[in-house]
Order: sequence, then structure tokens, then C-alpha cells
Amino acid sequence: MAEQPKKEVVLNATIEEPLDLLRLSLEERVHVKMRTDRELRGKLRAFDQHLNMVLSEVEEIVTTRETDEDTFEEIYRQTKRTVPMLFVRGDSVILVSPPVRAS
Amino acid sequence: MSRRQNPSEFLKKIIGKPVVVKLNSGVDYRGILACLDGFMNIALEQTEEYSNGQLQNKYGDAFIRGNNVLYISTSTK
Amino acid sequence: MLFFSFFKSLVGKDVVVELKNDLSICGTLHSVDQYLNMKLIDISVSDPEKIPTYAFSQKLFRDQVDTQLLADSCRKELAEAKAKQ
Repeated sequence: MAEQPKKEVVLNATIEEPLDLLRLSLEERVHVKMRTDRELRGKLRAFDQHLNMVLSEVEEIVTTRETDEDTFEEIYRQTKRTVPMLFVRGDSVILVSPPVRAS
Repeated sequence: MSRRQNPSEFLKKIIGKPVVVKLNSGVDYRGILACLDGFMNIALEQTEEYSNGQLQNKYGDAFIRGNNVLYISTSTK
Repeated sequence: MLFFSFFKSLVGKDVVVELKNDLSICGTLHSVDQYLNMKLIDISVSDPEKIPTYAFSQKLFRDQVDTQLLADSCRKELAEAKAKQ
């Protein structure tokens, strides 16, 4: 009989592919870094393979950069707003960071 | 030492190793490569975010969407 | 399919769609397709001062365009294109 690769017992908590990281973060608060200097913090309610996501109790932080015309100093402004329920289209997502897991 | 190999062999070999992931935006992520998939989505552990060489952020785990990735390189850290 | 179903369940509800160009459109979700294209009805822009273009074009579309003529012209062109084949 041909040698079979050992099938490991797949626990629910194992990470075999990157999306497992998100699967383990469902119903948890996550940090999402988006294109165009936006960050979101909210509870991950659902996602798919495109990284489309539904988040709830979301805090959105938008960072805008302005250059002072006289001193050429760069000024960063952060504006915050909260959204109770938010669908995010995956193509704008750069990074998703789950809460710190006890493992 | 390093035998000729194709990109996916390289990627398979560096799982569990410290890597630098550079994104198209120029931002670097340094951490342990937990795993990746065919879209080049990446899971990193003990992640540090560097912008212009300066540490910006730390994440325990981080999922990076593959379309943003410029390169993945091994790191000596 | 998850989010397609999700949005189908939201049909008839009031939503805000924020576009990548920062335009926010409030309206009632009328329909959605598998690509998550959406049709909103009874729309308004949340900040018409900031982006006057749309408020204008909306008015333009409502008052200035003969939609019947447009549709007829469209059919005509399609028919002509077909005849040429």
C-alpha cells in the first residue's frame, strides 16, 4: 500500500490557512486596516473569501494628512465615528488583526 | 546550499520562519510566517508594522490580504 | 453567496452606501445581484454641500432627460446593430 501522508486531527482551533485566523475571530472584536488610511475596530459578524465583512459596533478612524503651506510641516488629523452595523467590501482591506488569543 | 527551487517550494520552506512582508504601499510587516494560501493571503504571528523604517504597531496575529503584497522575504531576526 | 443572501434580506430597508470616492448615498435598498451591485431608491446624499455634483445630476436626470426617448433610442440602436450583423 502506498504511503499516505499522515492526516492530522484537525482541531477547530488549528490554523491551516490564513482565513482560519478570521474564522477563529468570529464574534470577537477585530482591528481592520483599510486602504486610504482608514482603520476599523468592531465585532466580526461574518466574512467571506473576498474579505467582505460585516462588523458591528464599529469605530472608524480616518487619518488625513495635510501639509502646512508655510512650514511644510505634515499635519495628521484623525476623525472618529461610530457605526452600529457595517458591511465592508473586501477589496479595500489590507490587514485584519484578531484580538490577542490565549493559546 | 540552497538547491534550485520554484516559488511555491520557497514559500513552503519558510513557513514558521521570521519573514518580512512588504506591501505595495511601502509598509513592511515583520513576523513569523504562520501560513499562506494561493491568493498570497498571509497569516503572521508576533507582527510588527514598520513604515519608513519606524515601528508603527504591533499585532499578535495578523491576516494580510494577498493583493497588497509586494514581496515576502526571509528575515535574519 | 453569504452576503448576497444578507443583502437580499435587507431589501426594503434603509441603508447608507459609502463609495470609494467618499460619496455617501442614503436610500432604500431596492435590489441586489450576485456581484453585490445594488439599486437604491428614494436616495439622498448625506452631504450635498460637500459634493454638489450629484444633487445636480439627480435633478438633471429627473427633469431634463426624456427617459422614454432615451429608451426608444437605445432599442433603435440595438436593432440597427443587430441588422448589421
